[in-house]
Amino acid sequence: MESLLTEIVDSGSSVAILDISGVPTVDSLVAQHLLKTVSATRLMGAECVISGIRPEIAQTIVHLGIDLSGIVTKATLASALLYAFSKMRLEVKKIQVSK
Amino acid sequence: MDRIPILRMGQFLLVTIQVDLYDRLAIDLEADLIKMVSKTGARGILIDISAVSIVDSFMGRIIGNIGVMSKLLDAETVVVGMQPAVAITLVELGLPLKGVFTALNVQKGMDLLQSKIQVTEDDDVETHDDDNSDNLLK
Amino acid sequence: MSVDREQDVVPFRNRVKEQAVKIRMGLVNQTKLITAASELVRNMLRYANGGKVFIEVVSKGRDNGIRLSFKDEGPGIPDITLAMKDGFSTGKSLGLGLPGAKRLVNEFNIKSEVGIGTEVTIIKWANG
Repeated sequence: MESLLTEIVDSGSSVAILDISGVPTVDSLVAQHLLKTVSATRLMGAECVISGIRPEIAQTIVHLGIDLSGIVTKATLASALLYAFSKMRLEVKKIQVSK
Repeated sequence: MDRIPILRMGQFLLVTIQVDLYDRLAIDLEADLIKMVSKTGARGILIDISAVSIVDSFMGRIIGNIGVMSKLLDAETVVVGMQPAVAITLVELGLPLKGVFTALNVQKGMDLLQSKIQVTEDDDVETHDDDNSDNLLK
Repeated sequence: MSVDREQDVVPFRNRVKEQAVKIRMGLVNQTKLITAASELVRNMLRYANGGKVFIEVVSKGRDNGIRLSFKDEGPGIPDITLAMKDGFSTGKSLGLGLPGAKRLVNEFNIKSEVGIGTEVTIIKWANG
């Protein structure tokens, strides 16, 4: 958590994406930690998006009774990036190449 | 008796906290700021806490108070530059810092304040002609 | 050292910081420890008009830590369980002081007797 937050300050990023698609299980401690990270990011003035939550993890989160409703979650890293771009009013376009 | 200086910059008030806060100092700052907002009709307050190494529940409450009070006087509050360690500690402490906006640095905080008052002005006059100037800032 | 006035708080925090730096405590843990100390010292000032604080370096195996003891001769706390609850306060505060301080440190002990005083001891390990 500390390294993410330090990096946000150093790079001046306004959006951080936390991709957890490689995380097989989330227990209540890890979930709590995620929540804390997101809250701390907000306190510092940036936004934290969580992406890549696996279906099993979504189930555990709900069963553990952890409330992630205040957090922006995206299905994939791509959609999280898209969200971040739109937040920053950036657009990715395909450049038309004339033949 | 120490006092934290409040700078006026256009429609905004600027506060940079450079010393370790103790309770009395924080209470004075709260009172001074609110008086200043009502005197100058400022539309926004920017508090830079990048040099502050400790924010405990009392100071957190003062910052929250400033946010809510200034909101009553039609001014927004942005807290900028919170250190990662301070942010982690506040979360652990259970203090969400409601009522204030946050930004990474002074530049971003200023942009945020600018956009906040831009939005309300647009609502008042219902014209969107000054959108250009808004985009220039981005 | 004794803390009897609000002006003593900043030097006290600096003393804690010095010791924490000496045992190479990380910045986040330092911040947590000093914040917890700040909460407890405020309680001591507000409810007992000050008291004594002891700063010690302790070790457990290879890990070093800082132990802070806050002793006052104030009115004491009648119901500690209640006082440790989030949002409970007899003064006009957020009621985060005691429970918040407990969350920030590794070990937290509180003893209190009505009419005699209160003693709070906390330990934060350098790598805890």
